[in-house]
Parts: sequence; C-alpha cells; structure tokens
Amino acid sequence: MNPALQLNDVAVSFGGVRAVDGVTISIAANEFVGLIGPNGAGKTTLVGIVSGKIRPDRGRIMLEGKDVTGRPTAARVRQGLALTHQMVRPFREMTVLDNVALAAGYRRTSSPLRALLHLDKRPESERARAIIRRVGLGGTEGKLAGALPLGQMKRLEVARALALEPQVILLDEPLAGLNQVEAAAQVDTIAALHAEGITILLIEHNLEEVMRNCRRLIVMNEGRVIADGAPDVAMADASVLEAYVGKGPGQHARH
Amino acid sequence: MSAYGISLLSVVGLNVILAVSLNMISGFCGQISLGHGAFYGAGAYAAALALIAGAGVAAALICGSAAAAILGTIVGFASLRVRSDFLAVTTIGVSFLFTGFVRKQAWLGGEMGISNIPGSGFGAMGNMIMILLFAAVTVAFSFYIGRSWMGFAFRAVSQDEDAAKTLGVNVGAYKLAAFAIGTALAGLAGALYAFFTQFITADTFDFILSVMLMAMVVIGGVGSTAGVVIAAILLTLLPEAIRFVNNYRLLVFGGLLVLVIRLAPGGIAGLARRLAWSTAKQ
Amino acid sequence: MYYIDLAVSGLSFGCMYAMMAVGLTLVYGLLRILHVAHAAIFALGAYITVLVANASGSVGFGLLAAIAVTPLFGMAVYRLLYEPLLSYRPDVPMIASVGLLVLMQDAFRIAFGEQGVTFQHNAYAFRIFDIAGVRVNAVQIAMLVCAIVVFAGLHFFTTHTRIGIGWRATVSRPRIATSFGVDAVRVRYLNFAIGSALAALAGGLVGLLNNLVDPVIGYVVSYKALAIIVLGGLGSVRGTLIASLVLGMVESYGTIFVGTWLNRDAIAFVALIALLMIRPQGFSGARTA
Repeated sequence: MNPALQLNDVAVSFGGVRAVDGVTISIAANEFVGLIGPNGAGKTTLVGIVSGKIRPDRGRIMLEGKDVTGRPTAARVRQGLALTHQMVRPFREMTVLDNVALAAGYRRTSSPLRALLHLDKRPESERARAIIRRVGLGGTEGKLAGALPLGQMKRLEVARALALEPQVILLDEPLAGLNQVEAAAQVDTIAALHAEGITILLIEHNLEEVMRNCRRLIVMNEGRVIADGAPDVAMADASVLEAYVGKGPGQHARH
Repeated sequence: MSAYGISLLSVVGLNVILAVSLNMISGFCGQISLGHGAFYGAGAYAAALALIAGAGVAAALICGSAAAAILGTIVGFASLRVRSDFLAVTTIGVSFLFTGFVRKQAWLGGEMGISNIPGSGFGAMGNMIMILLFAAVTVAFSFYIGRSWMGFAFRAVSQDEDAAKTLGVNVGAYKLAAFAIGTALAGLAGALYAFFTQFITADTFDFILSVMLMAMVVIGGVGSTAGVVIAAILLTLLPEAIRFVNNYRLLVFGGLLVLVIRLAPGGIAGLARRLAWSTAKQ
Repeated sequence: MYYIDLAVSGLSFGCMYAMMAVGLTLVYGLLRILHVAHAAIFALGAYITVLVANASGSVGFGLLAAIAVTPLFGMAVYRLLYEPLLSYRPDVPMIASVGLLVLMQDAFRIAFGEQGVTFQHNAYAFRIFDIAGVRVNAVQIAMLVCAIVVFAGLHFFTTHTRIGIGWRATVSRPRIATSFGVDAVRVRYLNFAIGSALAALAGGLVGLLNNLVDPVIGYVVSYKALAIIVLGGLGSVRGTLIASLVLGMVESYGTIFVGTWLNRDAIAFVALIALLMIRPQGFSGARTA
C-alpha cells in the first residue's frame, strides 16, 4: 500500500538560507497529521513544495506512489491533492456556488477542448450545494465570495478542496483569524472529512485545536523535522520545547 | 441598398468579429492584448497571397485564420511568461513589429501594400452577407463559450491564476486556447476584409486600430459579449453619423476609453447591470 | 570618422532617452503603473517649446516654459487618472494611460496640424561644430550637457537634501519611508513633477534637433522608454541611464546591420520582447517590494 503522501529528503534554499533542509515524511492513507513549528521553521515553504509552487533543490514528492516532483500544481490536484491557502483566495467576483462548482467540475476542465464541449453545469452545481451545506455555508450560495467575512471564506476554501474529491488535503492554517466558535466548527468539519477516509495534513499555529484532533504530530524547526509521533510524545520532546521557547526548562508552549 | 450602406454594414460586421474575438482573449480570459490588429493583418495578408495564388474563397478564409492563429499562439506563449500589464506591452510591440516588418518586405507589397486582390465573386452585397453571417456565427460562438465550462475556466484564470491552478485548471493551456481561438477569428476577419477591399496596406492594421478595438471591448464591458457587440456597432457607426467624431476619431476614442475606465469601469454592460439592479430594487 | 559620428549620435540619443525614461521608471517604482501617457508629456513639452520659442523668439525661453508647465500636467494626470485606479489590477491604469496618449496625440494633430510645427528661430539645429574632425551638432552637445547636469543634480538632490532622500526611500522602501515620516503622497506629486519636466526637456531638445515637432513624436519614444525601463530594471535610475545609453548606441550602430529586415525603431521592440520572454523579471536594478 503506497503512502498517500511521501516526501523524500526534500530541500530548498533561498539566497543561502536553507528554508527546508532534508525533510523526509511518509504519511499513510487516512492519517490525520498535524504539522507545527515556530515562525520561520519552514512549514510554509514545505507546503509550497508539496503543492508545487516551489521547486525543491533536491528530493522527491510522491502522491499515492506516483512521483509528482517537478509537476505543476494543477497536475498534482488532478492526481488527488487538494489544498487550502493560508491567505484565502476565493474567486472574489464569482458566487460561492460557482466557486465550489468549478472545483466540483474538475473533470470538465481537464482540458480546454473538453471544457469547450460541455455546457451542462447542473450535476456539479448540485454536488456543490451539498458540499456548501456540509461545511456550514448553506444560504450563502448566491453571494459573491469577495463579500464574505473571513470565517466563511475559510470554510469556502475547505468546501472547494472537498469538491475536488481528493485523496489528500493539505490545510494551511485553516483556523487562523477565526474566533473560538468558528474554529471549533471548522475543526469539526475537518474531522468529518477525515472520517470519510481522506488523508489530512494540517498546518496550524493554534496548537490546542491541533493536538485535540490529530493522531500524529510532526514538528519542524529551522527547516528540519525535529519530532514525529503521537502528539503527547512529540510535545514532551525537549528539542520541541526548546524550539518554541528558547533554551530553558519546563515551559509549555502557549499561544 | 446603396453602395455606401453595404460598405458600412460590412465594416460593422468586421468590427464586431474583431471586437468579440478580442473580448474572448482579454475579456473572458483576462489576457490583455493591444496587438489584435496584427492578427487581423496577418489574416488579411495570408488570404491576399492565397487569393493571388489562385486559391478559392474557402481556402483563403482558412489560410487567413490559420496564419493568424499560428502567430496568435506564439504570442500567446508570452502570456505564460509575463503579467498583465507587461503582456500589454509585449502585444504593443507585436503590433509595431508587424507593421514595421510588413512595410519592409517587398513580397508583402512593402509600403504600397497589395492591390488587385482577386474578389470572391459574390459582389459587394454577397460579401456583406458573408461578413454578417460570420459575424453572427462569431457572436453565437462567443455566447456559447461564455456559458460553457471553457468560459467558466477562463473566468477563473482571469480573476486569479494561482487559485485556478489549485482547482486543477491548467492555466497555460487555457491562455493559449484563448489566444488561438481569438486570433483565428481575427484572421478570419482579415480574410473577409481582403475580399471586401481587394487592396490592403500595413497601416490599416496598426497600433491605433488595436487601441480602438480594445476601446470597444472596454466600453462595451470587458467580458460581456452583448456589451461588446453594442459597443462595436456604436463606435463604428458614430464616426459615420457625426462628422465631428469622424474628424476627431482618435480624440473621441481615446477620450471615451479614459472616461469609461475612470467613471464606468464596467462599460455598457456594467451600466446595464446597475440599471437592472436598481429597477429591480424598486 | 563615420563610426565616431555614429557614436556621437548614439550618445546624444541615449542622453535624451535617459531624460525621457527616468520619469517613467520612477513612476513604476512608486506606483507599479506603466505610465504610457508619459510620452504625451514628452510631446507636450516639445510643442510648448516650439510654440513659445516661435512666439518669443527665444529657444531658451521655450524650453523653460516647457519645463515649468508640464509638471503641472503630470501631477494632474496622477491625481485625476491614476490615483482613483490604484486599487485595480495593473493593466487597468495602463490601458487608461494608452487612451490618454492616443487622445493627446490626436489633440495635437487637431490643434497644430498634421504636418507639425517648425522652429522659426532655430539657429542651433544647423550649427555644427567640428571637434577634432568629428562633426557635432549644437543640439547634440546640449543633450549631453543637459543629461549630465540633470543626472548629477538628481544624484545630489537624492543624497543631500531631505526631500530627495525621502523620495529615494519611498521608491525603494515604501513602508520604511512612511514610518520615518515621509509623506508618500507628496513624494508622488514630486515624482510626477520632476519626471514630467525632464520628459519635456527631452521633447524640446528632440524638436530642436529635428527642427520639427509633429503629432507622432510620442508613439515611438513611448515604446522605447518602456523597453529601456525594463532593461534597466524597473525603478532603478542608474539602470535606466545605462540602458538608455546602450539603446542609443545599439540603435545607432544597429542600423548598419538590420536595415533590410526591420527599421531602426524596431530594435527596441525586438529587444524588449526578447527580454521579457527570457527573463521576465528584467535585468539589474531595484526590484522593489
């Protein structure tokens, strides 16, 4: 059984700084993995490498056993990867429904020619409506995505990712900027996705929420993985504490 | 119908094809092209050469479209490299290069252009009908694209390329498709123009024409087929109807372009939408 | 000697391009807008020069008038056209700028005639000096001298005066500049004012060189200026200066080679397109945040 997502010795430098320095991670199907680390640890860069936005200097990225290193983002999405952005990027001048329907229609848009030959948007719109209700955005279908408050935009990101029928979802800080209530709801949605069999890789600063839900925690610092295991084990690791707090005993990292 | 009327309607038809096809590239897909005149010209010259070589009407039309589409796809690759305003700059360059190159080539007629191009055999009225038919087809095709999944993907590419990629849209392929289709239609218009005038010079297809076509798209409402058709018709008829406009054509077009962008960026389509909205509110 | 003549010609054109393009690169550096209408200001400067010179009998007076009036125009363009469009995607103000250029060029044609206006008291264009066997035109000398004075002055201004330093900071490090109390809006006006004045000077000198100011002088220069600022690095004055001189020289010598395929003006277009395709982020220079 191939791992859902595999990174082999991935590294990239920017202007002499090793943003990601030889990272190897293997995530099996249907795992719920949290990725944390202090600012500057390289999490965002790693996300960029997985999504295809950043080209690594070395290493391989594999989705379900297929090598996607060097392949563009759109190709990886068609290979089963979906992602949400830290800075939300909905299509502001499209309705919420259209935003999700476009994702739902990924088969229709696989090539310009195919797209030209298809006019019917009803099945995808129906599927989009169902997903919109699921993530708690019911009622907003006709609104322009640009007019939504941040909490709803973040849910829209998840809805679009879901509509792509992915095997792996990469969630980049899906809780950032949300209040307690919104964050809890978002986490419930994500947990429900996991329950359906999707592999989740969650990058978050909000440690409490992350720890509550994920079964496995990967900690990064200075471009490297410094801990990888069950959450309580990883957090108890001295090097993790050091990374967050600086040299000094016994303080829990708090946000 | 008088000869003048036939001629005028023919020009209207040609401008509709040009403006609507530019709207596919710059409106639907958001790739700014200020060089559309060059593709029009490429089509005209290709068709002219084909006709002189003895080709028939259909062959000439195909030659025109193909030549323009090939050039257009090459230029389309530029859109994969640079962002919107620099793409505009590149297409301006294409426009100048086209006229500069053609003027220097003896085999393309140089400064004198190509004259005595064999006609289509349909006569002026026949040509006009052919032009208007193609214009109608172009408009219908444009509506179709707008409602299809291609139009949907185009809109995504136009608004946010990176987000489109995360939805699995192959942005590069769509940009090239937009250029290929839009320029092929411009080339078709060029071939039709060759039939219509039987005499072409490089100056007709210069940067100024490209700016005027962009003005039609902007004034009509970027992305709106109906708006652009209306704008193309209006802006072609206006100089004929109003003497002042005819003499000060560029002044008026440039002025309208500035005013519309500044005051009514949605163009005619935008105004229509706002009007519908406010009447609906009541 | 022919080659040295070419060098003189290339150098003087390069100086003129530099004065024209520096305003363009600074506007881009500040606002990320391709101020294509800058060419219209160049043309406006040329027209003011010739009209005032003919009316007053003094070329110097004409140039001064051009330098004095065009900054107002440039600032008006910023305030009325660009400022309200800053929140749109970058091609929107650019297309508006193109519209303005087209509008103004046609306005010049309508107001002053298709054939243009010639200088009536222009002794300069025809005054040729023979320096060590090289024939140099008085206007070419003027271009060179002006460019030296202008760029030396700019350098001094931006390194030794408070306003100038603030200007430079705002172009290269906008956020830091505002936290130091530099008024960003005033800097923008200053930018347009100085850039326009320089373009006007360049326009006036070109008019003098050709002894003619006609409605199309804006177009080709506009495109070349775009080529120059990309080549030199958007926002970089030094880069623009170097690129201007390079273009001037290449055009001058290039006509020997490419004369059959393309005309002289096309060199800039080809260079720009090639550059944008090979290295979209341009060459040297201050790529600002």
